[in-house]
Parts: sequence; C-alpha cells; structure tokens
Amino acid sequence: MSSSALLSQIMPILIFVALLLAIIGAVRRALLWSQGQKSTIHWSGILAVPRRYLVDLHHVVARDKYMSNTHVATAGGFVLTALLVIAVYLFDIAAQILNYMLLASTMLMFIGSVFVLKRRKNPPANLSLGPWSRLPKSLLIFSSSFFFLTLPASGLLSDLVPELFSSNIAENIAGNIAGWLMAVVLIAGIIWGLGEMFFGMTWGGPMKHAFAGALHLGLHRRQTRFGGGQSTGLFAIDLAEDKLGVEKPEDFKWNQLLSFDACVECGRCEKACPAFAAGQPLNPKKLIQDMVVGMAGGSDAKFAGSPYPGIEIGTHKGGAIIPIVNGLVEADTLWSCTTCRACVQECPMMIEHVDAIVDMRRFETLEKGQTPGKGSEILENLIATDNPNGFAPASRMNWAADQNLAVLGQDVEKADVLLWIGDAAFDMRNQRTLRAMIKLLRAAKVDFAVLGEQECDSGDLARRLGDEATFQRLAKTNIALMSKYQFSTIVTADPHAFHCLKNEYRDFGGQYHVQHHSGFFADLVKKGAIKLQANKALSLTYHDPCYLGRYNGEYDAPRYLLQAMGIQIKEMERSQTIARCCGGGGGAPVTDIPGKQRIPDMRMADAKETQAEIVAVACPQCSLMLEGVVEPRPEVKDIAELMLDALVEDSTNE
Amino acid sequence: MSDIFRRDPRAEWIARNRLHPMHKPVAEGPVRGPSGLLRKNPHAVGFIGPNGIKRIDRSGASTGGSATRQSAKQTEVILPLHKVDEPDFYIVVALDLVSGRLNGHDKDVLGLAQKLANIDEAKGAVVAVAFGELKEENLDVAGVDRLIHFYTDAYQEYNPEQRCADLQVIVKELQPRHILLPDSINGGGDLGRRLAAKLGQRPACGVWKVNGDQVVCRASAGKNDITRTLPTLMLVLEECSEPVSETRHQSLIMPLNESQEINSTIEDQGNISVDPNAIPLAEAGFILSGGNGITDWANFHSTAKSLRATEGASRVAVDDGNMPRERQVGATGTWVTAQVYIAVGISGAVQHMQGIGKCDKVIAINTDESCDMVKRADLSAIGDSSEILAELVSLVEQNNNEKGADHDQ
Amino acid sequence: MTNNNLSVISLISIGEHPTSRRPRRAEQDARAVELGLKLAGERLKALYAGTIESPSIEVALRSYLGMGLAEINILNLSDPADATLALAEHLKAERPDMILTGVRAENGESSGMMPYLLAEQLGMSVITSIVEVSSIDKVTQQAEVLQALPRGQRRKLKIKLPFIASVDMAADAPRQSAYGPAMRGKLVMNQLSVQVEDTLRSKWQINEGQKRPKRLKIVKAKTAADRFKAATAKVEGGSGKIVHGSSESAKEILKMLIDEGVL
Repeated sequence: MSSSALLSQIMPILIFVALLLAIIGAVRRALLWSQGQKSTIHWSGILAVPRRYLVDLHHVVARDKYMSNTHVATAGGFVLTALLVIAVYLFDIAAQILNYMLLASTMLMFIGSVFVLKRRKNPPANLSLGPWSRLPKSLLIFSSSFFFLTLPASGLLSDLVPELFSSNIAENIAGNIAGWLMAVVLIAGIIWGLGEMFFGMTWGGPMKHAFAGALHLGLHRRQTRFGGGQSTGLFAIDLAEDKLGVEKPEDFKWNQLLSFDACVECGRCEKACPAFAAGQPLNPKKLIQDMVVGMAGGSDAKFAGSPYPGIEIGTHKGGAIIPIVNGLVEADTLWSCTTCRACVQECPMMIEHVDAIVDMRRFETLEKGQTPGKGSEILENLIATDNPNGFAPASRMNWAADQNLAVLGQDVEKADVLLWIGDAAFDMRNQRTLRAMIKLLRAAKVDFAVLGEQECDSGDLARRLGDEATFQRLAKTNIALMSKYQFSTIVTADPHAFHCLKNEYRDFGGQYHVQHHSGFFADLVKKGAIKLQANKALSLTYHDPCYLGRYNGEYDAPRYLLQAMGIQIKEMERSQTIARCCGGGGGAPVTDIPGKQRIPDMRMADAKETQAEIVAVACPQCSLMLEGVVEPRPEVKDIAELMLDALVEDSTNE
Repeated sequence: MSDIFRRDPRAEWIARNRLHPMHKPVAEGPVRGPSGLLRKNPHAVGFIGPNGIKRIDRSGASTGGSATRQSAKQTEVILPLHKVDEPDFYIVVALDLVSGRLNGHDKDVLGLAQKLANIDEAKGAVVAVAFGELKEENLDVAGVDRLIHFYTDAYQEYNPEQRCADLQVIVKELQPRHILLPDSINGGGDLGRRLAAKLGQRPACGVWKVNGDQVVCRASAGKNDITRTLPTLMLVLEECSEPVSETRHQSLIMPLNESQEINSTIEDQGNISVDPNAIPLAEAGFILSGGNGITDWANFHSTAKSLRATEGASRVAVDDGNMPRERQVGATGTWVTAQVYIAVGISGAVQHMQGIGKCDKVIAINTDESCDMVKRADLSAIGDSSEILAELVSLVEQNNNEKGADHDQ
Repeated sequence: MTNNNLSVISLISIGEHPTSRRPRRAEQDARAVELGLKLAGERLKALYAGTIESPSIEVALRSYLGMGLAEINILNLSDPADATLALAEHLKAERPDMILTGVRAENGESSGMMPYLLAEQLGMSVITSIVEVSSIDKVTQQAEVLQALPRGQRRKLKIKLPFIASVDMAADAPRQSAYGPAMRGKLVMNQLSVQVEDTLRSKWQINEGQKRPKRLKIVKAKTAADRFKAATAKVEGGSGKIVHGSSESAKEILKMLIDEGVL
C-alpha cells in the first residue's frame, strides 16, 4: 500500500474520530453549563449568530486593527478549512474546485496564524500564555498539514514535480521512503491539528472559545445589546427565593456559565479595568477564568495570565457546588469593582462581568451580611432614612430653602419636567450644581417641579452593593410616589439615578422618559431656549461618567454643550467608550478595598496630561471623587456650572 | 416685709460724719434719700489718676486704679452661711465624686437639691452622701448641709451593691423628701437605678428641668421630653439647675449608722490601662490628627505617644497610606467628639470640618494662615509642624518632670 | 469563644432612628445580640416583649434575625403595658446564666431601669455598660467582664453567675443584618401569663424633645460696668488666637492643653 493510499484511508477515520470526540466533548460541556439555573432560552438568537459574530463582535475586535485582520484571516480560514476538510476527506466529495478552495483557505489560515505567532513573540502582559501560546503553532500545523495533504490531490504539484508524485513512484525506493516519512509527518500534523482544533474545541482547549462563543453569542442573556442596542440594567431577583444571589458556580444562570466558557483570555478587560490598574485585587479576565474553574472543578494553578494584584496564582480552588467566595475568589476581589463596565465594553465575546460580580455581591450582602468597609452602615442608613448618609429625610429640601421650588403634591400637581435631585441634596459641593441647574431651567422658562422631601435615593448604590431588597423597596416607593403626579420628562444631574430611573425601574412598572441634564440642556440650546456665550477660551477636558457614557451611550450631548460655549475640548487619551472610571461607582468608595494607588488620582493624572485647567464633569459622584484629589490639580466643574457662567441672560425677561 | 420706708437717723449721721470710724462702709453703701430713694454719690465715683486728676472709667476695664483694687478685695468676701439646725425634711444627694472631687454635674445636682430644700421658704437640709475618697474642700459653698461619708477601704473600689445597701439604710432612717443622683456614667446613673429597683420606686431619669412640682425628663434616647409630677427619686442630668453660688452651708458630718456589710456579687479588678490608640476614635478625648502637611510621620507618632493622645488622620493622609483607614476623621470617616483636637497639617476639607464639629477645642498647626482649619481653630500655630511638635514635646516632658518633682517633695 | 453549656438570652427591643424616627434594630440591643452570639453562638436566645402590630416593626424585629438568630421569642404586649413583669415571668422559667440587653431603649421612657428591675425580680446580679465578657468559669460560677468608663477607659470586674448585663455602645459593633436570613427566621409567639398596664405613664405628657439651652457663663457682676462687659463681650466662636514661631506656639498649645486638663 502506498503512503498516499494509506493517507486517503486513514483521513476519514481520523476526522470521524475527531468529530466524534468533539461531539462527546460538546455534550460534556453542555452538561457543565446545565448545572446552572434556569433562564430563558432565546432560540431565535442562534439564527442571528453569524450577524452578531460579523457585526457586533468584530466591531469590538476592530478596535485593535491588527488583531481584527489577523482574526478574520485565521478564523475565516479555519471555518472554511474545517467545512471543506469534512466535505473532501470525510464525505469524499471529489470536486477539484473544493481542493482549490481548500488550498486557498488553508493558505489564508496559515497567513493569519503567522501574524498570531508574530504577536505572540513578545506578548503584552494582558495576554495569557500557556495553551494560548501553543495555539498559533497548532494553527500553523493544522493549516500547513492540510495544505500539504491537499496539494497532491489538487494536481498542482504533479505539474511541477511529476517524477516525485507520479503514479510509478512505488518503483522509486528513495521516493518511497520520503513519501512514507512525509505521510507520517503529515499524519502527526493532522492529528495535532485536529486534536487542537476539533477535540480541543469542546474539551477545554483554547479553541473552546469558538464553540462556546458561537453558542454564547446566540443564547446571550442580553439579547437586546446586539445590533446597536443597549442593555445595561441589572437583572432583578425574586426576593422570596430560598437563596438570594450567587454562592456557588451552579447558582449562576446556565447561560452565564456558557458565557464564561466563551472567554478568549485576550485581556482587554484587564487593560481597561481601573481597579486592576490601581493594584486592587481584581482582574476581570482572571475572574471569568476562575468561574470556568469553578464550573468544571479544580484549582486556578493552570491560569497563565496576570494574577489578581497581590494574590498569588494557584492558592485557590473551587467546584460547581463549592462556595465561590474565600475558596475560589477572595471577597475583596468582588468588592474592588466599580461597575464601570469598561471590561464589558471591551470584551469581544460580550461577556457580562458586572452581572456576575453583582450576582456574587448579592449573596455576600443578602445572605451573609458581609458588605465590607462602610457598606453595612450605608445600607442601614438607606433602610432607615432613604439616603446613604443617614441625614434626616425631612432635611432633604433644606438646601433649596431659598430656591422657591415648586414641589409636586404641595404646590403643583403636574409639571413638564420632574427635576430629580438625588443625593446631591445633602452634599454641599453638589448643591452648587443643583443651583446652577435651577437657574438654567428658569432662564429657559422650563416648567419644572421637584418631589421634595418625599423623594428617596434612587437605589443605585444599594443595588451595586448587592442589597437588592433595599433597592427594590426604594424603587417601588419612588415609583408609587411618581405615579401620583403628571410630568412628561424626568431630568437629573446624576447619571446613576438617570440609569436607574431609565433602565432599572422598568422591571417594577416604572416607565419614564428620563434625560440627563446634559442631554436636556443640549436640546434647549439647540432650540435656542438657552443662549450661551461663545467667547470663552477655556482650557478644558471632559471626563465621561461611566453611567452616562458606557451605560447609556451619551457621549455627544455634553461635548455639544461645551462646544456651544466655544470650548475646544482637550480630550484625554481614554475618553468616551474607553474613559477611565473616577473610582466612585459601584460602591467602591464605600467598600474601600486597598490598592497601590487610588483610581481618582489616576484619572486626574489623565486629565493633567492634557494640560487642561478645568475638568468638566457631568456626575456628582465624579465631582466628589475628582475634587478629592490633592491639589494642585485642575479645577473640577460640572457642565451645569460651566453653562451658568456662559449663560446669556435674556433681557426681555425684565 | 413692710413697704414703709423707715429712716435710720444713726446711719445718716454716720454718713455725714467723716470722722466716724464706721463712716467709710456706711457712706460707700447705698445711701437713701429722705423719701427712701436710692441716692448716688457722684463724689464717690472714680479714682484719682496718677497725675492727681480724678478719672471715671465706665468701661470697667480700668487697671491700676484704687477702686478696682478695692473691688478685687471685695470678691473675697465670705458668703453668708445658710444654717439649717432643725431641718423639717431631708434631701439626699449621692455624689459621683470623680477622683474625690465634686465635678460640675455634682454641683448642679447639689444646686437643684438646695432649690428643692428651700422651696416655698421650707427648711430642708441637703444630705450629701460621699463614698470613698473625698478630697473636696469646698463642700460648704457647693451646698452641702449634712455629710455622710463612707470611707473604708471597700469604698475605694467599685462596689455598687454595698453603696446601694448603704443608701437604703439612709433612706429608711431619714425618710427624705427627695433622693437625687447625677444620671451619669461615673456611677450615679448605675447607683440610682439600683436603688430605685431595691426601693421599688419609679425614678424620673434624665431629669433636666424642674418646674414647681413638674419635672421634665429626656426620653426616647433624647428625642422626646416627658413632663411628669415630681417624684421622690430623681436621676438628673448635668445643667439641670444652677449650682449654689451665693450661700455657704454647714456641711456637718452626720452621725453614721453602722453600715451593714453585704455579700457583693461584683468584684472590682481595677482599671485596665488603655493604650490611647486602642481607644475608638469616636470616644477619644484628646486627638492628635495628621494630614497632608506632615512630612515627618515618625515625629508625629512619637509626639502622640508623649502627649498620650489618640492618633487621627485626614482622608489624604489615609489615602497616601500614612495612616490606617480606621483612623480617618471626618464625615467620610469617624465623627469625633474630642475635648481637644489638634490638627497638624490639615487644611480642613468640608468633610473633615463636619467630622470635628463636636470637638470642644481645636488647635491648628499649619503653615498656611488662610486655611479653613485656622479659621475654625481656637488656637492656631503657624509654622513648621515638626518644629512646633518637637518644641511641644520638650515642653511637655519638662512639665511632667516638674510635676514629678512636686510629687517627690 | 463559645461556651457549650452556657445559656444566654439577649433581650431586644425596637429602636428608633434618631433622624427619621423609623423603627429599626436598636443599636445597644444589637450589640447585646452580637456579644451573645460571640458567647453562645447558635444557642443564643433572643426575647422581645412588645407590640408587633405594624409591618415596619416586624421588619425591624426581623433585622435581628438577619444577624444569624434562628428565631425570636415574642411576648406580644399591647403598647402601654409594662414589659418588665412579662419578661420576668418568662425568664423565671428559662433560668439563663446570662441576660444581655442594651443600656436603655431608644423610645418610650428609656429610663434604663429594665435590667435592674429584672435583676430584682429574678434575684440575679446586675451590671451596667459592659463591653466584653472576657471569660466565664462555670465551676466557680464567675465571669470576668470589662465595663466601659468615659473616654474609652475600661474597668475589669468579676461577677457571679447568673447575671444581667447591659451592653454599652462602646462594645463591638453588631454584625450586619442579612436580608435573606432575616426574612426566613422565625418569630415565635409565646403565651403571656401576665399583662399589667402601665398606668403611671398615661398621666405623663410626652412632647418632642426640646433643645436644651446652652448654659451661659453666669457673671454675678456687682457693678453695672461688669454686667455690661459680660453682656457685650465677644462671644466665643469668632476666629481663634493665632501665634507664630515654634517656641511661642508650643507654649500656647501647652497652656491650652493644661487648661483643658488633657495632659
């Protein structure tokens, strides 16, 4: 039997075995996911996978052009190759065109793999090593093996070197030996290649991301985030359940477990994470990988990326029915997160890190009562006084004693605009912003009113600290209160309240038209209701609040307003979608997990780099965090304050 | 008293006669005209200045004048003695006597007791009960008519059960109209409640005002006031009444009934020495707090040690890792209530100022005279903090040595 | 430190938030529960005497369950009733080694008499303002406790078992109340043997707490000039004294420290 005959006989068996093993692995993996809790299965999503892959996923990948092109070549080449290999070698469809296509696809894949290998030469710190360093080699072997396997069949080679591959090659002993040798090498390469690409795909190799990722894209828990949509509100939980929040990996929803398997360990989340940069013990990539370890059982020793800052790799283990916190993951890791969503924004696989973190925080707070730092005090205050710092609810309107505000239910029953005050009512710094807003609203002759003393905290902080019970109580109280009055729009200066009112009250029957003050004022300026002086040449940079930008996609309105004041914004390197958090979200200032440096200091350093003299903010939390940075530093001013400075008073008023 | 004004011809005569030995006191006292109206003697006003010219100083701030010197002498007058020889009833006051002396709270309680003893021209005697060491010399001016003093060794310790039994004996014997105790953490609150439980009486606790036969008590942990009729047993708060200031009292030692010794279930093992830094910041009475302006933290710590002050810090000092988080003072850290708060190198962010709002005295040490902390401080030292602290430490040590020397003598 | 054959009961009440006036877990009682949990662990019993009419009171009561108690025994009393008798009857049957409670309630009379009255009726020792139970000796029937004194000072005491102790605010802060266990814990209703109405209280007049006037420095001035000076002198509060130079400063600071008596 000739070597080529052997090859053609052995190929279908090899591919069949690889596919069979892959299917067994897939079932095994699916069983792992099915340990999770029930969740709606969005079957229709499966059909949308190609579109989501090509549009949504590549939209994220394309932020790194090099990687995007590399991935198109490699992944496209691989998908084509895999399909063609099955057609040609398993089903033995002998169409010459397929051979040519196969050659082309392996070539494409090979080229892509070369670039993958090149990138792996001096890998940046955010990339994982270990099996992920093996992958480019496997890709090269897979593609080259099938290239050389297909080469003779395509007949291209026989034209070039007929004496070597001619039919009477058996008479050439030397050639025979070379042929056998080549066959053995090819078979070895193919076994390696198939092993990595087919077997490894479902048995936990790096290629797992392709299999789990495709399913994850289809069955994603947030179907509406694809196709340009947005879905950032946290999921509500039923407070009557026997267990609140996630204690063990099996307590996650099954599609969350699936999402963890989709991780490609690209480390973009790690690069974006402010807590990681500040040296707090959080690395979103490691967290997701730990969840994978937890789901399958084992230790984190095999993780080949950056550790949680300050925590050694290999010291933690877990399993599907073993509590996560303090076995697999330290509690401090969960509490370091500022819920800024930078990781989610950057994740090409659309993994929802923040959801997972908040789910685990919920168990810590609602079941264990272990909210760290001042968390428990803050939550107690929210329960007893409806504001995080325990001020008398009756003093909520003290700041506005001189403002003569119309209070719904007392002075008026309806208004065009409900001005949501939020926690700034108790903070002297942010009262300045509120006063500026009120002057602007009056200048624009907007009919507005406030809820007065009856307004409660939006519940944002309680929810991010895991206290879903308090959040739901506050949300329901606020919704019941607002249902008594008529208004068309809610306007607030607090992006956190904005996000809650807009996206999270919906689950409890509160559907509102909510605008952040920047958006609302931008409309007023466009309409000409507010006129701004355009002669100021301020040296200014703008800091995007996470809950306005990443959570609600509002990047333009604040910039429009600043430009309307004639300001040339000196953008920071990290702005808009990749803006760095001020460190004030998610209860991070409350839990206060120690790190090497503080997040607001890092953000202020970003601002200083632009040489700006003013940092414009659009969030009371950001203004507090950034003003907390030791001077000398740029001045921190809210957009409303800047607008008030530039306001052209309408003389027809008097 | 009758409203009819009666002339005193003798006094008038003495006032006219400058050579009369009694002339000066009589003439300087109030002089009444024939109709009984008070008369002012314009010649007696003022003093003769150094150049022989008469000066009248209406600001009251005159120094060197003979008139003021006289008035200084006059302040040392002996207060009139209030005598109660045959009391109609007794009012028993159990004093706290922190380190053997009357504190403000004790004096206020005695003031209230005297008020109750002399209500409507009544003749009651205030019986002060003192346990243990008694170093106070001014019991008479504080309003003690009678004194019962238990001073055996057993009373040097915390023995509330014995004290309660003694009070029971006294109450049984004297049948006092009222029993007053300071509602304090220094023993009075505890003792009063023990006694109330033993006597089966319902006390009025947290009394802060007595209006005739009504008392006003703090209730609901300070949120409400209860107005109720005057009971026998009262635990009164500080400043419930003005202390006695215009009379002197006998403070006679009352014959002591043999106190019967009871079996105590509580045994005092003595105070344990508390490291100033182990005291929770919110409770600490003396805080040395450091901020961004401190360059030499070792010096700061050693100063705190020699002053025996509890250490605090501003947020920035904590963020920079110079101090642990639980040491942070301010609205975002701990709200402190210290009697003396020394802010070293803290310019005074709003949150910090909020946190020290309840401090009694604030001392600022800062290089910037215009900072907010200096505006708030009762005393501000402008200059290099490490120099000032070093100087302070040496002064304190010198002071301690002197004290030590005094004790040796 | 949990002692296996020690029976501890924490008495709990419904607190009242100082600013919002809403029912809550009382701060001192929560510390008593915390101390009890440290001493007896799961075997700590909690006892509440009072009304549970409104849902907000039940929520407040449940917040004690959220600390890790399996159940709370309730003596359901109508509002003006005297809780002491009901408690004493119940506790007589229980015969605990140790009863822990707060120093005073956050609402009602808050006289702080409860531990003393119970001690009298049960014939137990009573001790106030403890912060810690450092050791318990079941053989000699003695416990060693730390008592809070002003300004963070502590006194060590030995006390005979059984005893009632009120727990001071300076004791360890109570653990956080977790919502899940709070909602799942049991509220056990107990039979009431006695219910005596507090008749005295109905005669009282209860008002919102008035702000107490700050005591003025009384100047018993003999002359009009002195009185005038006292009345017009700049009231404390304006900016303080400012000194320059390190030795001057140190002297002034020392003077103030000595005047204030903190050295």
